[in-house]
Amino acid sequence: MRKRILAVAGYVAAALTLFVALSVPFVLMGGIAKAFAQAGFNLAPVYSGGTVARTIERNGYRIQVYQPVRPRPFQNGEPFVQVAFVPASALPAQICEEIDLDGYGRPDVRVSFAVPSNPQTPMRGDVQALNDRYDTLTGIGADSYSRFLARTGDRIVLRIPLPRHD
Amino acid sequence: MASQASPTMSAPAFRSVGRSMLLTVPMALWSLLMFTPSFLHAGPDSRIACGVVAAFMTVLFYQMMRTGTTYRWRRYFFVALGLLFPVGFIASLVAVRGSMSIPIERMVSGDTPFCYMVTPMLIIPAALTRTLIFPGSILPTASNPHSIAAMIGIWLAMTLVLGKAWCSYACFFGGIEEGFAALPKHARIRKLDPRFRLAPWAILLAVVLLSAVMFEPVYCMWLCPFKTVTEFPAVRDAETALQFGIFVALFLGLVVALPLLTKKRTQCGFFCPFGAFQSLFNKINVFDIRFDRTKCVDCGSCRSACPTMAITAESVREGKTLLNCMKCGACVDSCKKDAAVWHVKGTAVAGKPERARLLFLYGAWAMATMFGGSVLAHGVATLIHFVARN
Repeated sequence: MRKRILAVAGYVAAALTLFVALSVPFVLMGGIAKAFAQAGFNLAPVYSGGTVARTIERNGYRIQVYQPVRPRPFQNGEPFVQVAFVPASALPAQICEEIDLDGYGRPDVRVSFAVPSNPQTPMRGDVQALNDRYDTLTGIGADSYSRFLARTGDRIVLRIPLPRHD
Repeated sequence: MASQASPTMSAPAFRSVGRSMLLTVPMALWSLLMFTPSFLHAGPDSRIACGVVAAFMTVLFYQMMRTGTTYRWRRYFFVALGLLFPVGFIASLVAVRGSMSIPIERMVSGDTPFCYMVTPMLIIPAALTRTLIFPGSILPTASNPHSIAAMIGIWLAMTLVLGKAWCSYACFFGGIEEGFAALPKHARIRKLDPRFRLAPWAILLAVVLLSAVMFEPVYCMWLCPFKTVTEFPAVRDAETALQFGIFVALFLGLVVALPLLTKKRTQCGFFCPFGAFQSLFNKINVFDIRFDRTKCVDCGSCRSACPTMAITAESVREGKTLLNCMKCGACVDSCKKDAAVWHVKGTAVAGKPERARLLFLYGAWAMATMFGGSVLAHGVATLIHFVARN
């Protein structure tokens, strides 16, 4: 009797597997993807830049200053703070901005770069430190996750390294 | 000593043409259902590709029904998948970004297509910090339709159906080495240390723990042989040059040279951590391969035919395969005594193996047609486009 019950259960499970297979493209795949997307996961900040701390409004565009990103103890890379200029399509041909990175009310760096009309053109820019907590950097491009200037979609992303001890 | 049995030898007809066609009808309809939307909304290259692939998948299934064998026909599909996936993928990369290398700005903008190989490495960081350590996007975007959520959805749904059979019916990398393993008539290296089969578990443990500690997908950054035929971080410095060198060396060694020498899927059997991860799902999958001890004569042909060394003398004595069996059907097709059989857990081993095979194959082939079929169609369309342009 037990063998028979097990056999029936096995075949029922096999038939269910077939049912699952047929429902994959219509229901299951999208359902799992939707549930996963709503589960509240975030991308690692070293890739995404972290979360926006504050937004500075300018004439026709915005400057988003992100929370500082600090690598975990054994993670590669340097700490950095991300600044995004959005939308890239509304930016003037030349950007020269003094930006308060830490939110203490005083500008920390002066950022300057040319905005190329062709989105594919590699970018280079300079960051001039306005206090001794930051380093002056010249010719920043898409060098590393923490020293970065490039157009990504309709925004220009700048990443400025932070001192490790900060 | 058992000879290096070839499960690909032609088998005598098993079913009548009419009955085989009848059994193929559901799969033909499924192929139509899967390819019709692409057919209706695509250009002429893709239409031809969809038609060719739908016919290809249906004919292979018919042959499985007609001959009663599985491995040979599945292998045609699987090798085609392994060959055509890089064709379509590389062509897309070159069209979008001009090269196979992924520049850092693409990673920052979340444009890296998600690869299921990363899945086991995501688990610990996601569980502890709700953070996904992959430079993609969670939801599909215009520039990256292969988002993390979409690919996790496909992987989990298919894993529920296939278990470890993912490695035989869905993985678009395994076909490359299966193709190389099929080329020589005989294996030059026949004796392989059985402890090699434990290596994927060790690598899985190492990359999962290291990824959790280093907060990056370590396997993808350092060890994935298939970066060579897909995409890899742009070589910018000594570190990225070393990474690329490792990818190429592993590809040439594990995916090309060793399969040619051993006639085994050496990357899958002795290296792939994702394969080890998928083995765990064999525990919950209802299908497996069993050995009927009343028929087995211990000839060793099943052990010899198994491409991943998932069968040992002890496991045959126990009537089972090892956990890493990927249900490719090589052992069943090579067994002249019909001792190796498809099986539904809970049922008698000597019961109705063909019923178990059919129940498994309908699900597995439906998945192969849905997922692999679209990849094949993309590859074929790319080839047609390339030939027509030149």
